[in-house]
Amino acid sequence: MHKKLAELEATGTKMLMEINTEEALKFWYQKFLSRQGELTQLLKQLGSLSVEEKRTFGKACNELKVELEGQFKMRQNELAQKTIEHSLKEEWIDLTAPGKEYPTGHIHPIAQTQEEVERIFQQMGFTVVDGPEIESEYYNFEGLNVPAHHPARDMQDTFFIEKEPHNDEGYLVLRTHTSPNQIRAMRQYGVPIRIIVPGRCFRNEATDTSHEHTFDQVEGLLIDKDISIAHLKGVMIEFLSRLFKKKMRVRFRPGYFPFVEPGMELDMSCIFCNENGCRVCKHTGWMEFMGCGMTHPHVLRTGGIDPDEYGGWAFGFGLTRLTMMRYGINDIRHFNGGDLRFLEQF
Amino acid sequence: MKLSLNWLREFIDIPSKHTGADIGKLLTLHTAEVESIEDEAQAYEKMRVGKVLKIRPHPNADKLRLVDVDIGKEQTVQMVCGGKNLYMNMLVAIALPGAKVRWHGEGDLAELTEAKIRGENSHGMICAGEEIGLDPDNTPTSTEIHIKNLSSLKAKPGTPLSEALKKNDVVFDIDNKSLTHRPDLWSHHGMARELSVIFKKPLKKSKALFNFKAKTPAKGALKINIKDQEICPRFSACTVSGVKITESPQWIKSLLQTVDIRPINNVVDVTNYVMLELGQPMHAYDCELVGNTLEVRYAKKGESLETIDHKKRPLHEQDPMVANAKGPLGVAGIMGGANSEIREATTEVILEAANWNPQIIRKCSMRHGLRSEASQRFEKGLDPHLTERAVHRAIVLLEETCPNLQLMSPITTVGDWQPSSLKIKFRPETTRSKIGLNLSNTEMIRILKTLDFKVTPKGKIWEVTVPSHRATGDVKIEDDLVEEIARIYGYNEIPDQLPALPICLPLENEERIHKHDARRILAYQLGFTEALNYSFYSEEDFHRAGLQSLRHIRVKNALSNEQTHMRVSLVPGVLKNIAKNGREHAQMKLFEIGRTYKETGEFMPLEEKWIVTAIAYPPSKNEIFYDAKGALESFLKKFRTPNVFLKECTTPPAYAHPKKTVEIVACGEPIGYVFTLHPSVARAFDIEHDVGCFELNFTKLVSQGRKTAQFKELPKFPNMPFDVSLIIERKKSVAEVERTIRSGDPHSLIHSVKLFDTYEGPNIPQGKKSLAFTIELRHNDHTLSDKEFQETQRAVFEAIEKIGGQVRKG
Repeated sequence: MHKKLAELEATGTKMLMEINTEEALKFWYQKFLSRQGELTQLLKQLGSLSVEEKRTFGKACNELKVELEGQFKMRQNELAQKTIEHSLKEEWIDLTAPGKEYPTGHIHPIAQTQEEVERIFQQMGFTVVDGPEIESEYYNFEGLNVPAHHPARDMQDTFFIEKEPHNDEGYLVLRTHTSPNQIRAMRQYGVPIRIIVPGRCFRNEATDTSHEHTFDQVEGLLIDKDISIAHLKGVMIEFLSRLFKKKMRVRFRPGYFPFVEPGMELDMSCIFCNENGCRVCKHTGWMEFMGCGMTHPHVLRTGGIDPDEYGGWAFGFGLTRLTMMRYGINDIRHFNGGDLRFLEQF
Repeated sequence: MKLSLNWLREFIDIPSKHTGADIGKLLTLHTAEVESIEDEAQAYEKMRVGKVLKIRPHPNADKLRLVDVDIGKEQTVQMVCGGKNLYMNMLVAIALPGAKVRWHGEGDLAELTEAKIRGENSHGMICAGEEIGLDPDNTPTSTEIHIKNLSSLKAKPGTPLSEALKKNDVVFDIDNKSLTHRPDLWSHHGMARELSVIFKKPLKKSKALFNFKAKTPAKGALKINIKDQEICPRFSACTVSGVKITESPQWIKSLLQTVDIRPINNVVDVTNYVMLELGQPMHAYDCELVGNTLEVRYAKKGESLETIDHKKRPLHEQDPMVANAKGPLGVAGIMGGANSEIREATTEVILEAANWNPQIIRKCSMRHGLRSEASQRFEKGLDPHLTERAVHRAIVLLEETCPNLQLMSPITTVGDWQPSSLKIKFRPETTRSKIGLNLSNTEMIRILKTLDFKVTPKGKIWEVTVPSHRATGDVKIEDDLVEEIARIYGYNEIPDQLPALPICLPLENEERIHKHDARRILAYQLGFTEALNYSFYSEEDFHRAGLQSLRHIRVKNALSNEQTHMRVSLVPGVLKNIAKNGREHAQMKLFEIGRTYKETGEFMPLEEKWIVTAIAYPPSKNEIFYDAKGALESFLKKFRTPNVFLKECTTPPAYAHPKKTVEIVACGEPIGYVFTLHPSVARAFDIEHDVGCFELNFTKLVSQGRKTAQFKELPKFPNMPFDVSLIIERKKSVAEVERTIRSGDPHSLIHSVKLFDTYEGPNIPQGKKSLAFTIELRHNDHTLSDKEFQETQRAVFEAIEKIGGQVRKG
């Protein structure tokens, strides 16, 4: 018996040393250590032995089992290590072949810009409000100090809705700007108020690369006590600097909008040339950004606010134009063109 | 509006150190937007006066000659020239290398370089008039190039051409929109007044401009009868004789040309000149044709007039007219009539300068679609003082070409206008606070005074009197004075300052937040791409989608037939996107979030926000409905709207496949649909793809609120799954089979039932289908025993068999 055990140990160890494949290793395990293996077979013969022999032979068997299992594990590790080393050495994949495509969608560039604008103004304490896109002439014009037959009505060619006019509010129009919401918001929320109104506006004008009859605007309104032009300058510098992620400068020039007095245009430092002058800013270093001014007392009164007690300012800038600047889009018609080759770029 | 710097200089001495660009920038910053600045001299850069010294034949060309030209500074150069009219000592315009010329007066400007022409050097070129923007010298019958002869200029060779030609003006183009509220700035004199404030230089004395020599007769022969007072607050006129129609003097012609007004004859040019100089439009009538009596009235019913643009215009009863006893002579303030136009033979002229009611002019000009230089000015509200001054000025200017000019009538002014002074209460303290700058009282007074306001600075509330040229609507209230001070002092002197944050926090706009969330879920989680479509579409669009039975809101003045109706649904727009992109894309997933506009009977239409999604694949056997349904289910799960159910749909929308549509219901109210596109609608939109959609009324969806996720304890014991595959009648619904499976659950162990396969076709009997489910069992207290597992399995099989299903075992 002991001789058999010794033979088993010798052949087992020898065979194990010669094994080079995982398969052979599996086979070796079957042969020696499994339930049907040779060692188990030997142990099965234990019954025919005396108690003393049982003890010593059993012990020897177990020792051999532990020994062989130990060797097996080692060999297994060695082989595994070899396989890994082999694979590290030999394997090659084409790293230039494309990765697997995970289809994702895209949010419209105007919506992305709008969210960014809303986020910044909300950080500065502005509420985002909304209003109807089909407006009455009253809110779109008269309430904003643009009476019928005022030359300023030429500045915004208007789409009219086919419907009988309202006695007080006149015809329905597609809002030509987001400004009607100045009055709606003042009436709804009272003072103090600081809001922005991003939204779609319409003008009846022919379309080309830089003109669209449908575009988005952002209106801003801040009414409180002791509000000045200096505050408007402060807020716009902060907004633009956060949006473009660099220190921006602004300049005011006189401008005319009947719902503000003084009325101004605000230019921002050219984002393409840092005020050095380039083709985009027509070598002035400045880019036109928005119309703004101190809210006209007529508008305050229409909004139910006493202009002797409260005052403030309003502004309106083109979200569409801002989006064009932000992404370098050269044709405004892409926005509503619904072409995936455009939309998938954002 | 165009302004000539030379013209402005007649009224103000602008220090010469200021370039055109400087002046333009200052105007932009303080007054009105200068859109462009055109420096005349720039067009003549690298051009000089040259003198022909020698003319020799060209050795290699018959039609060309070699010319030695003295170009000043003791330089003589050779040029190749084809002009036949060259002669010795002739003064010519030469363009040196670097100059930009228009070859033979055609095409774009081209930059000259030193060149060899047929083997001979040409150091620049000798120019014809049309090549450098001057009048051509050749006779109309000749097509040959004639070199511009400058001998009459008597300039020295080498003189810069711009100097020799006196082309040294700078022209500013002012954005008319930025002058909408400033009637006083529509002239050179008005703009000079503004510049005098900006440059702190006084205006030049202008008395001589209005002193004419002609004698005033003792009594007049001109009668002006204003019948409708509201039309015309002030009307000045005068009849002159001894007029000889001729060309205007060159200086008038060139000033007019500089600002893009075409010279016509001395009388018409004078009226235009006065308008551009003083801002007061004028009109001249041939007195012989008109007679001695003018009346101002509204047009009468049935009247019509041929205007000087030779269009016959039927008149409206609200149109303001200047007329005589026979009928209308002109549309007041807008355009004169052909019947009283100045002719070659005219010798007696009525010069009219009137002040017209801005609104009446504007309405009339819009009614006739007729805007003129005159009407543009009148509709802004001009200073009535100007009328008399304008007539004076016109007579002075006419005397230049008509030395025998006589007045046949005194200068007659009628109208009910009375000079009055508008006074405004002005609070310096409020002004400082509004501007946000600590301006001294002295500075504010200085600014107002130089702008011709009268200031009585007493106490906290001052009294400011508005000058007449600013009192026609432009300056009315204190805020207007704030603007005057701020803009002249300089907006850019104002510091920037952030307002103090209010203690009350802003209101949250939930819908906006949800909208951005919805976009992110659809785009970044479900893989849809956002498109934005116009708010209007065409009649054809909504017919194709079968929406013609819905009441549409129409646009009265649509830009095109494509955009006549406000959309009641976003579906047609998205379908058009699919059709358009379908040519290039096999698979598409698109969405739009936008408004619909519906007629409700109220004055204001109903505007609702909708989400529409569309999935499109090339035609296949897979039912695309399930793609759309899956997208909706995932969206709702992520968006966490509570209590939303899908329901069989009895009245699907017209664009939906009637058998493949379900309704989305929240709190008993339908808020949208999931559907496969109706095959006829797909055809109508030219879509070859399979299209599945869901649409959701976003306004209503958001009004349901949104759940917050609730944590559930993790199960302590493992799931035990088993699959069941069965064959059943094809119209049995999955929902029913699932209910049946759940009913066979003796120990309440079924935790989930998930369909993972459906199949119809070969190997499955006709009219039947195969379904395969994974059923997961679990108990919260213990690991399941074999018995529990087997009993549940058996119960499930039995339940399926009870409804006619055949369980496929093994």
